[in-house]
Amino acid sequence: MNPLLPFLMAGDPSLEALPVQLSEARSLGIEALELGLPHSDPIADGPVLQAAAHRAIGRGATPVRVLQTLAGLKDSPDLILFTYLNPLLQIGAERLKTLLAPTPVKALLVVDLPFGEEPAFEADLRAAGYPMVPLLAPTTTLDRARQVLAERPDPGPAAPFAQRFAYVVARLGVTGTAQSTDLAPVRERVTQLRDISSRPLAVGFGLSDAASLAAVRAMGATPVVGSALVRELAEGKSMAACLSPLMDGDL
Amino acid sequence: MTDAFALPTRFGAESLGGCYAPETLMQPLLDLEAAFRSALADPAFQAELKAELRHFVGRPTPLTAAPRLAAELGFKALYLKREDLTHTGAHKINNALAQALLARRMGKTEIIAETGAGQHGVATAAACARLGLACTVYMGVTDMARQAPNVARMRLFGTKVVPVEAGQGTLKEAVNEALRAWAGRCDHAHYILGSALGPHPFPTLVRTFQTVIGEEARAQVLEQAGALPEAVIACAGGGSNGLGLLVPFLGDPLRRLAVEAGGHGRALGEHAARLDGGRAGVLHGCKTLLLQDEHGHTAETASISAGLDYPALGPELAALALDGKLEVRRASDDEALAGARLLCEREGILPALESSHALAALPALAAEGAATVLLGLSGRGDKDLSTYQSRMEI
Ligand SMILES: Cc1ncc(COP(=O)(O)O)c(C=O)c1O
Repeated sequence: MNPLLPFLMAGDPSLEALPVQLSEARSLGIEALELGLPHSDPIADGPVLQAAAHRAIGRGATPVRVLQTLAGLKDSPDLILFTYLNPLLQIGAERLKTLLAPTPVKALLVVDLPFGEEPAFEADLRAAGYPMVPLLAPTTTLDRARQVLAERPDPGPAAPFAQRFAYVVARLGVTGTAQSTDLAPVRERVTQLRDISSRPLAVGFGLSDAASLAAVRAMGATPVVGSALVRELAEGKSMAACLSPLMDGDL
Repeated sequence: MTDAFALPTRFGAESLGGCYAPETLMQPLLDLEAAFRSALADPAFQAELKAELRHFVGRPTPLTAAPRLAAELGFKALYLKREDLTHTGAHKINNALAQALLARRMGKTEIIAETGAGQHGVATAAACARLGLACTVYMGVTDMARQAPNVARMRLFGTKVVPVEAGQGTLKEAVNEALRAWAGRCDHAHYILGSALGPHPFPTLVRTFQTVIGEEARAQVLEQAGALPEAVIACAGGGSNGLGLLVPFLGDPLRRLAVEAGGHGRALGEHAARLDGGRAGVLHGCKTLLLQDEHGHTAETASISAGLDYPALGPELAALALDGKLEVRRASDDEALAGARLLCEREGILPALESSHALAALPALAAEGAATVLLGLSGRGDKDLSTYQSRMEI
């Protein structure tokens, strides 16, 4: 099982630092990583990722420059591009595919794109090797979860984790570290999902401490760490110093 | 539990609208549509809404002939649909009250809202006080400063006003924050969106609750003038008073106009005129005409009027404009101030800065030969007195 899915905001602290951040993550054994594309109006993000996005935009991390920075990177985890829809729509599917081709991006997680809203765009990208990650929230009924998983299907065990996993949102609200997240509901949700799907699951939103990461691993799911990591990196900590304590699969 | 929308989610040839919401909000939006449809079909809900609109809001609002202003501008007749005379002073209460009734019917205990000019916030605060619902309103800090009287009114009604510091501190940031808050509390809270914006079903729901404006106005003008006017005109922020007034006239042979905020210049960032500066894009859950930069980031906007200072036009209004069913104009800050002054001096009515943008478009309409015009006076200008005082020599 993949022990950790970290989240980074591209361009924070700088685009120049991004290739190094990614190769460090890889050398620490990170298989897949969510890379945030900074957006002006991140409606699903809490204060930490909002601030990181605005810092990154202020330093010139436009969507196209981010993708150009990723071009040709060999020494990187598989990337899941975490983004809002509008920048992708403005780039357009054709140009987006060209920009993505030389990068380690393997899948897209478009926060404000439910299945069925842009069917042609989504199908085009999936056919080119960029499937959309299915998201399941605490409000998602089991019926809807079945629908979401069918609309964004598992490409099968031969595909990498980045293209297979479903993202299970641990609590209501936006990204960010919570005071304390009661993991009992998400544990139950993971159990229900096991009955309807065999794909890998990642659990995120509000996780930061070792105990909750261990609890998620004990569910057989991969914990996502975003805001907590972004905050520490912004304070100047190294990738190794941030990730090593989170990597321990046996906690 | 419903698992698909039953109502159309898209508008016009460009398929604007849609439901581009984070997954957390999808089931709440599906449930909202279902509750909305069931309420519309329920005579008891309709009767309660009608009674509240009559006895609490003060509907029907008058249609007032404005003969001195008409003479000044060269019209044969000019009629004002007086949403400024509703309780709380703007059309916003039509929607806020109806959604509050809907929320109570859904068993929700808290209301979340955004506000720009503060009129939607005040209307929501009043409706919540009346129905006994807790209310939290998100408002940008710039708007809190320029619409201070409305902040005080909301607080008097027992509403918690949360300042939003991000970005320009205006309506766009307030909507961002309200959407985030709703995602955190959607198990017990309903979000009363204040304009015909956002993810489905909000644009349809808000338009439905606002068309009372145009339905009344159409009957009133037929009764008073014996004929339809040649043109019907309203200002357009998100588009709720515009749709509310104009949609009931869609089948009529007349000109329909919406006026956007021209701000203080034509460059991106200096205005909020989406129709001649915007491109299709997605913001706040819908696809519509959006002021944005080449990266798909939302552009800054500017307007003297907090209620029009928003980078996206509601999807249905945008679709009607693109499909040639209405004309869109822009009025600058200075033109709006001049329009307000004229209405004050000729008719003794103080308009909201938003409504003043519709007034500002009248001279051009007169010059184009329109003889009879019906104008949506969406709100009263008490909230704007400090801006009027500082920008006019009074
Ligand atoms: C008086 C008044 N008119 C118009 C508007 C613009 O909104 P809409 O376009 O939804 O009618 C506002 C918004 O705050 C307002 O307060």
